[in-house]
Amino acid sequence: MSLFWIVLGQPGRLQEMATSKKLITREEWEKKLNDVKIRKEDMNKLVMDFLVMEGYVEAAEKFRVESGTEPDIDLATITDRMAAKKAVQCGNVEDAIEKVNDFNPEILDTNPQLFFHLQQQRLIELIRDGKVEEALEFAQEELAPRGEENQSFLEELERTVALLAFEDVSNCPVGDLLDMSQRLKTASEVDAAILASQSHEKDPKLPSLLKMLIWAQSQLDEKAAYPRINNLSTATLEDPRDL
Amino acid sequence: MPSTAAAAAAASSQPDDLIRRLRSSDGAVKLKALRELKNQIIGNRTKKLSYIKLGTVPDVVGVLASSVGIDSGSALIVESAAIIGSFACGVDAGAKAVLEAGAFPHLFRILSNPNEKVVDTTARSLRMIFQSRLAPKYDFSKNENRDCLISLLNSDNENVTGLGASIITHSCKTVTDQKILSGAGVLRMLITLLNGSLYQREACLEALTAMLSSNSEVISNFVDLDNGRALSSLINLIEDKSPRTRLLASTCLIVIGRTCSSYLQGIELKNKLILILIELLEEPDRVGDEVPFAVANLIADREDLQRLAFEANTLDKLCDFLQRETLRPKRFEGLLLAIAELCSRLESCRSKFFSLKVLNLVTDSLKHDSADVQTAACICLRNVTRSVKKLSAGHFMNEMVVDPLIQLLQDSSTSVQVAALSVISNIVVDFANRKSIFLRCGGVKELVRLSQSMDPTLRLNAVLALKNFVFLADNSSKECVLAELTVSTLVSLICEPKVQEQALAFVRNILESGINSVEHVFTEDGIIVNAIGKQVRNALDLNVCIEGIYALGNVATGNELHKEAVMSQILEPQVNGPSQSVLIKFLQGNNSQLRVGAIWCIINLTYPDGPGTSSRIAKLRDAGVICQLKKLADDPCLDAKFRVKTALLQCVNNSCAK
Repeated sequence: MSLFWIVLGQPGRLQEMATSKKLITREEWEKKLNDVKIRKEDMNKLVMDFLVMEGYVEAAEKFRVESGTEPDIDLATITDRMAAKKAVQCGNVEDAIEKVNDFNPEILDTNPQLFFHLQQQRLIELIRDGKVEEALEFAQEELAPRGEENQSFLEELERTVALLAFEDVSNCPVGDLLDMSQRLKTASEVDAAILASQSHEKDPKLPSLLKMLIWAQSQLDEKAAYPRINNLSTATLEDPRDL
Repeated sequence: MPSTAAAAAAASSQPDDLIRRLRSSDGAVKLKALRELKNQIIGNRTKKLSYIKLGTVPDVVGVLASSVGIDSGSALIVESAAIIGSFACGVDAGAKAVLEAGAFPHLFRILSNPNEKVVDTTARSLRMIFQSRLAPKYDFSKNENRDCLISLLNSDNENVTGLGASIITHSCKTVTDQKILSGAGVLRMLITLLNGSLYQREACLEALTAMLSSNSEVISNFVDLDNGRALSSLINLIEDKSPRTRLLASTCLIVIGRTCSSYLQGIELKNKLILILIELLEEPDRVGDEVPFAVANLIADREDLQRLAFEANTLDKLCDFLQRETLRPKRFEGLLLAIAELCSRLESCRSKFFSLKVLNLVTDSLKHDSADVQTAACICLRNVTRSVKKLSAGHFMNEMVVDPLIQLLQDSSTSVQVAALSVISNIVVDFANRKSIFLRCGGVKELVRLSQSMDPTLRLNAVLALKNFVFLADNSSKECVLAELTVSTLVSLICEPKVQEQALAFVRNILESGINSVEHVFTEDGIIVNAIGKQVRNALDLNVCIEGIYALGNVATGNELHKEAVMSQILEPQVNGPSQSVLIKFLQGNNSQLRVGAIWCIINLTYPDGPGTSSRIAKLRDAGVICQLKKLADDPCLDAKFRVKTALLQCVNNSCAK
């Protein structure tokens, strides 16, 4: 067995020796980077996109005035979106539903999954507050009909109602439903649905660009040693290790 | 339990109290009630239905109508318009109630309101109504309607342009509609709007599909736009980031390709389209539900595309999805139809289908709750049972397949019955001679029952199935069918214009195996033979003549009595035609099948050693038949030429023997 491994291992090692990596010095690298032109407007748009998506309304408004960058969404709608999202995060699901409906009545009418998840969250909050009878009635009146319409909803509903069966909910198999993470999950669904209704993507572009940077660096690592960005928050170029 | 009641009241007030407050003269009370109603019904089908039943819709439309033009009316309009739209969304009863309450003209009028929020909500609400099949068709031939549509499409508000597109999608149904809109420059407007937001783009793609569907003239207008740039931007959209855009653009392209295949020519584009659709099958929501229908539409009647799709493993993918749990009926139906189209022509697809072991799943779905799924399952089975290889192996003639199909013959929906008949017609052909299973399951009884149905389509398809059942059947099976059907029913089917071709073919199949079977149709003084003769002499339909003369030819294989009966039928002059006999007419005819049928008839009538053969030959000679036969000695149809030789030889030998 081990002999076999060695034979297989051989070509790999040979290859490694054959392709010695190219070394790019800091000077060369900086020169190359200097040749890349990036338009200021594009940078501003990326910043604006980030502010808008993350919900920094006032910053976005100031940035709009100062930089002259027009957002592709009416800034006033950010407040509405953030308010709906926040309401879910705080457990005020009814309030969140009203806000979504005020924003655009079509969203929950055409997105049964989101509607169900909001109702499910409402049920979870009732259970969290110990309102057992109200929770049961709500599950029966509001959620059961949705379960009849959709098999996967029914399964989720059963899982949620199971919370009522345990004395110590924090330590039961479906206890994760009571976690903050469940609220955040529902809240981000609300966020994504509102953005989608504005024909907007659900993720900001800046993180995608940084992901792309990390990916590109790891591709390049195989071919060259170069000043790398290891810390994204400082974006400093670090000298390549000597080969 | 007072605590629960109190809690419930706090959560949502009682419907009758809410309705009372809707009717209040106090604007603030009204507004609060509207908001409660809105938040109760949005997304909630059950609540919508119960409020519709309580008659709430006219109240809401009343608030809408009375709030126009008054101060602080905007908030009331926004809320009531949102409610009206929600009632119409996804619930037919809601759309009906909204239309009956007269919401339409009010909403249209409000579109010109200066308040943007009001216009947004109203346009959305109207769009919801237009997405219902119950919405009235918008009449594009009226100038004012056309102008209104153009102004909607020209709006800066994307909810309003989206409404314009939805109106087209809903109402552009005829070639005339398509031409009017194309003539009014709507194509170009839609193309421009494709550059807008996602929402607007998708609405426009649907409208575009409605305008191009089956209309080669409008399609070529579209293709000529901006030197083909409109078409290429459409082609680009099939690779868009949004799955729904990809589907809608593909659907539009399929519509173009089905009418004008030259625009969907390149193999690369076809392959790309197939791969995109396969990938979209994975989409969980409405998009994924609609994809299989697009696949079916793409490959229907197109063997080249079926082959490409097959090579791209489409069948494996479709069958894989079919086996997943909790399929929504819509998606289930689509998958079955797409599989059906793939297996409609290519035997390679059918054998793949059988190797994927989904036959049981498809037969099980014959018992599905949804009639659409049942029909689709039948269509799928009909196409896979076209496999002669599997048929001759008796693959389908077992209770598991036959029983549920016979059940469907009693279904309340005619389309389900017809679909079930189409499968039965295939499987009863069964060369493996297991037809008795079908008899035992009560299938023949049901077919005979449907052959006397009030619905002509059912009658036709039932007789067709019976015809296939008696094909190469043993004598006892044939006897059972005839006993069940009765002579008088058969005679009336032979005389019924649309059904007679199949009825005559049924007789032909019954008679295919010798003298015993001839006795079957010769009961009651040969009224069946008389009926056949009459149809053959009078029929204008070529296929009826062919089936009829073959049936008579088969009767002529019987005894002297049978032969004489046939003689008198075919030598009798036609009723309204020239004085010559129908036999001469067929021999002179252009159709080779008809000539061969007539010659076969003569061969059987002049078969040697019969006591009456000589006299029949004499009669045929007197009627000019032998003379006519001689003219066919060099018939271009080899079959006819060969049979003529036999017939003439029989006649000559007989004369020599004398």
